[in-house]
Amino acid sequence: MKIELEDLTKRVLGTGDFITIDYAKCNNCDCCLIICVMNLWRKKEGKIYIVDDYQSKCLECAACYQICDAGAIKFQYPNGGTGIVIEKG
Amino acid sequence: MKNYDLIIVGAGPGGSVAAKTAAENGLKTIFFERGRNPGEKNSSGCGLGPRMFRDFPKMMKELTPEECPSMRAGIAARNYFINKDDIVSGYIMARPTESVSYEPAKSWITMNVYRSEFDPWIAKFATDAGAELKTSTLIVDLLKEDGKICGVIDEKGEKYRAPIVIGADGVISTVARKSGLRKRWAQNQVTLTLQYDFQAPSEKIDDIMGDETLAVWWGSNFPASYQVFFNDGFHQGLGNWMNWWDKNPLYYLNRVINLKYYQRLLKILDAKPRELQSHLLPWLDYPFNTHTDGVILIGDAGGFPCPLEAEGIYPAMVTGKLAAEIASEAITSGDVSKVTLKKFDEEWQNTSIGKEFEAGYELWNIWKALPFSPKETMSWFVPMIMEILGGIFDWSQPHAKRVRQIASHVKSYMPKATPFIMTYVFPLIAKVFEDDLDKLMDPKKIMKVLPKLLDMLPQKKKKRGG
Ligand SMILES: Cc1cc2nc3c(=O)[nH]c(=O)nc-3n(C[C@H](O)[C@H](O)[C@H](O)COP(=O)(O)OP(=O)(O)OC[C@H]3O[C@@H](n4cnc5c(N)ncnc54)[C@H](O)[C@@H]3O)c2cc1C
Ligand code: SF4
Ligand code: SF4
Repeated sequence: MKIELEDLTKRVLGTGDFITIDYAKCNNCDCCLIICVMNLWRKKEGKIYIVDDYQSKCLECAACYQICDAGAIKFQYPNGGTGIVIEKG
Repeated sequence: MKNYDLIIVGAGPGGSVAAKTAAENGLKTIFFERGRNPGEKNSSGCGLGPRMFRDFPKMMKELTPEECPSMRAGIAARNYFINKDDIVSGYIMARPTESVSYEPAKSWITMNVYRSEFDPWIAKFATDAGAELKTSTLIVDLLKEDGKICGVIDEKGEKYRAPIVIGADGVISTVARKSGLRKRWAQNQVTLTLQYDFQAPSEKIDDIMGDETLAVWWGSNFPASYQVFFNDGFHQGLGNWMNWWDKNPLYYLNRVINLKYYQRLLKILDAKPRELQSHLLPWLDYPFNTHTDGVILIGDAGGFPCPLEAEGIYPAMVTGKLAAEIASEAITSGDVSKVTLKKFDEEWQNTSIGKEFEAGYELWNIWKALPFSPKETMSWFVPMIMEILGGIFDWSQPHAKRVRQIASHVKSYMPKATPFIMTYVFPLIAKVFEDDLDKLMDPKKIMKVLPKLLDMLPQKKKKRGG
């Protein structure tokens, strides 16, 4: 059974950027690549990045922030009233 | 700048109970929520435990299907055992047993209700008591004067002042971060828990599940996965500590969904995936750094979910209430220092939550080693258990012979089971019964008894009459 994830989340737009990466601190451990349920972290030519449209896909779980022991991922919840809306938590 | 007696960040169950308690104590109280409504950012199993109804009876009596239509009581719980070939090799269904001592625990195991209904419902007790709720507001920093914490700052730069701030802001707590109480959890102090919500017609759930409204799928290829039924749908979720995952966590959850047995269940329930959620959940052997000058952390922010199964709503409510009471005393006395707020630790340690954490390490450790170690442990534990539970009801041999076959087979698991029992079960028993671990684990004693015990198992019956 293949479940289409796209239809399974709702959000209020207008979060602005709330996840950023500090390359000076990233040690390429690849932990963020594994932990993100939505698969929003990628690596290209040895460099980690988060996909451009993460704001419209992110579940705000903060797992990427938590897993990064190097402290390279900066995370702050989106501004009040924006972002993911969990209807059946 | 707005002035208050008490500021609470977060309007989950912990923050709302804290706000209610503080307002009832006459404190000018404000509590903040980043969602447009309480609950819209939160994800739980979500079963409410009976201790909530015992310890907050006046409030919980008012939880009705009119208020929260998704409500469904979990009377019977099923435990599915799944082997390494992803086959459901057996299950046990259980209802509250004879030794359960009070109502409503005798009548159900959990009361299930969606957080989008429960959180606003519980927040209303606080606003009714006179606390001010400010939604759609993200607290981004603590207000400090001369290095002393004296309030909070929201994302628009608005400042709010109070002598004490209660951090009820969940697992990624801004209050914990900004007060210096905790930068980040260690990777084995917090789990990633993800779940699907499935929609299913109420009548189907009633007809097919009856009064079974809770299940745990104990897997050999995925960490134990819970299933919680609501009025018109159910959750299927699983989690593990951050340092456990070797693949996208969704891979493991999808393994549950793709069990043949599960697919059949989805089909007969006419169930469709409705939502996907992913949330962190603190899961510690013991809470630490819960307070400092002018700050108390409660609920998930303080690391209070139960060390065995991570029930977290009840602990959030208990610690929320205590923190508000202690804050009230401290504010009245004019002393909000760390030394005074230390009373928070003394008090929660005396509650049902404190009792739970007395065996915190042992409980945490056994959960880690068993349901959260599917490949290492569950892969032999499931066939071993099923050999015992399921082996007898078999017509392949005379029953006496079957018993001997089973005993001999169970013996073959002993090289794995014995160290497991020594490392995880004995220390837990010793802690729970306050017995002397050394006495229990005396290798001489064990070695004297164990081989004898094992030898007894597979011995063939002597032939009668020569
Ligand atoms: C998937 C999953 C399943 C679970 N299942 C169960 C279960 O079945 N039963 C059970 O008892 N427990 C369960 N738990 C645990 C339970 O959900 C938590 O322990 C409980 O919600 C903790 O309550 P809390 O009030 O401390 O924090 P939360 O419920 O997390 O509330 C914190 C609130 O603060 C808000 N917030 C956070 N940061 C800010 C900020 N900076 N500014 C403003 N607002 C902010 C959030 O939006 C949130 O509403 C589960 C947890 C998960 C993740
Ligand atoms: S987890 Fe942190 S350090 Fe590791 S790759 Fe990702 S950003 Fe870099
Ligand atoms: S917060 Fe969660 S969903 Fe969003 S990018 Fe990080 S890990 Fe992925």
